[in-house]
Amino acid sequence: MKRGKLFRGEGAMAASSGARSLRSGAVIGLAGLGAALAWIGAAPAGPTPAAQPGARPRRIVSLNLCADQYLLALADRDQIAGLTRNATDPDLSAAAKDARGLRILGQSAEEILEIQPDLIIGARSRRSPVLAALPAQDYRLVDLAWATSFAQIAAQTRQIADAVGHHGRGAALVARMERDLAGLPQPGKGRVAAYYQRRGYLTGTGTLVDDLMQRAGLVNLAGRLDKPALSRLSLEELVAARPDFIIVEAAAEKVSDQGTEMLQHPALRGVRRIVLPQAWTVCGGPAYVRAARSLVEQLGAS
Amino acid sequence: MNRARPIDPPRATLAQGKATVPDTGIPGRDERCEVFVNDTFHDARRHGFLLPGLVLFLLLAACGSLALGPVDLAPTRVVAALVGRADPVAQAIVVDLRLPRLLVGLLVGAALGLGGAVLQGFLRNPLAEPSVLGTSNAAALGAVVMLYFGLADWHGVAMPAVAIVSGLGALALLFMLAGRSESPLTLILAGIAVSTLAAAGISLALNLSPNPFAAMEIMTWLLGSIENRSFAHVRIALPCVAIGCALMLTSGKAIDALSLGEDGARSLGVDLARSRIVILSGVAIGVGGAVAVSGAIGFVGLIVPHLVRPFTDRGPSAVLLPSLLAGALLLTLADIAVRLIPTTTELKLGVVTAFLGVPVFMTHLLRERRIW
Repeated sequence: MKRGKLFRGEGAMAASSGARSLRSGAVIGLAGLGAALAWIGAAPAGPTPAAQPGARPRRIVSLNLCADQYLLALADRDQIAGLTRNATDPDLSAAAKDARGLRILGQSAEEILEIQPDLIIGARSRRSPVLAALPAQDYRLVDLAWATSFAQIAAQTRQIADAVGHHGRGAALVARMERDLAGLPQPGKGRVAAYYQRRGYLTGTGTLVDDLMQRAGLVNLAGRLDKPALSRLSLEELVAARPDFIIVEAAAEKVSDQGTEMLQHPALRGVRRIVLPQAWTVCGGPAYVRAARSLVEQLGAS
Repeated sequence: MNRARPIDPPRATLAQGKATVPDTGIPGRDERCEVFVNDTFHDARRHGFLLPGLVLFLLLAACGSLALGPVDLAPTRVVAALVGRADPVAQAIVVDLRLPRLLVGLLVGAALGLGGAVLQGFLRNPLAEPSVLGTSNAAALGAVVMLYFGLADWHGVAMPAVAIVSGLGALALLFMLAGRSESPLTLILAGIAVSTLAAAGISLALNLSPNPFAAMEIMTWLLGSIENRSFAHVRIALPCVAIGCALMLTSGKAIDALSLGEDGARSLGVDLARSRIVILSGVAIGVGGAVAVSGAIGFVGLIVPHLVRPFTDRGPSAVLLPSLLAGALLLTLADIAVRLIPTTTELKLGVVTAFLGVPVFMTHLLRERRIW
């Protein structure tokens, strides 16, 4: 039921190439339209002007877990007409508590037809299977690119804030995040860390996780080994590479299947562990600050 | 019992050894039958070099398994690690990763190979083996249910115990479906039914479990893998495989007698009810314990007895010990192949064994076609 979780791990080849194409998609989005802002009306071709301050959208639908986080941080609750099914899952959504009580959508186009949203936010929303099933209507769409750095998170925060009609909130949130991050030390001191996921997937450079590592002064093992954004590294290779730290996802610390069992293998017992909740790193969003702070604290303590 | 079963003596002798000699139970009616009974308890039932040869190859394969892996280690470092004088990296790779993997492979292969040999003798069917008959998948279902619903944490023995019980349940269901039918077809069809049911059960259990990575895990359980095993897995598999194999090895006399049919076996003084319990629980315990740590690896028990049989007098019991060794050898070699074939994601063991096993299966299907 929650197989939509497979953003990064496990998808093997497909996910790996997906991660790369998502990244390049983000770059194109930024280069093309300033802050990756893309208003696409289905009937009138070309971008339509940004929302007027007086005309805040009142029925916003999110098609993407990351869009959920921004909406919950920036929009009024009564503006939100629908979030994705993982929005209330604390393992995946950093704003799960805030999402409670709001409407959670399935993957049916019918629900969207019924809501008649005046704004839809999603990743590559034009390719969304839900929207493809809808009859051509004049929905306003915002494409949310895949954030791989804090700079992109800041840009997206402003983008969504403008789209939902709360420009000031966006500016304030960005300022707060920048202030919090500026105060963080860099206890990593150039030591090597591996972001090691279940079943041996290694998160590479050009990702949000890599951005977090750099911020904490760590060097990503994947970069050292010249691996792509997502690769598979056997336990043997990891042991032989001798990273100073492995960063694992909090949910994977509990052995629930063979994929997580591997992360508890005795061969890893000598490597220091840093545990981060997946909810803070799976999406670019306000939780980035929490992830960075936790990483720095755990590094300082070790 | 052998009603309407066409008998084609030369073909039967070739294809299935003496196991298909008409089970009339009347001594002397068939000359080969006489020869067989005299031969069975004779000492020279195997080629003199069979067991030493298997042990030798097993040692070589074990060395290969310890020496090969994604990280290149010089043989001297491997040896140093084994005697505890290596650097921490080599030590961790050889002792924590490669050694348990080798041991799990040996145990699983031994249980599956012997399980196949015993079932082929017991059921007088050259296609019988734990995975074809659904025992492996059912044991995997038991393990999956325990693991994915968090029940395995109760107690260390809970998961293998449930795997064994569900393997035993599958064998019971198989006998309910196939009954005492002498037709090899009925048994294999019943096996397919049980096996498919268990595979569907695994998928359903994984889909129902709160695990978001179910799709990937289903593959591991249905095709089998011994990657990243640790000594914790050796400790689960070792007692089960030891007990299961001991039970199966004691059944040699019974399955030899059974090659004369049930009446013939009874007339030789075999307690059929007792040997059935010993054999089926031996298979369930050995295979259940193995599958609980490796997933269901197919065809090992099918291939191995057919490979070693030409080096024996084709008596069912003569195949047992060689099948145990050859099973361990085959799985170790397959696991080396999995490591050497360059793939981006881990290759499952069941893929390799299926490529080896399906031709054996087809050969026998073609030979049996005329009966069906």
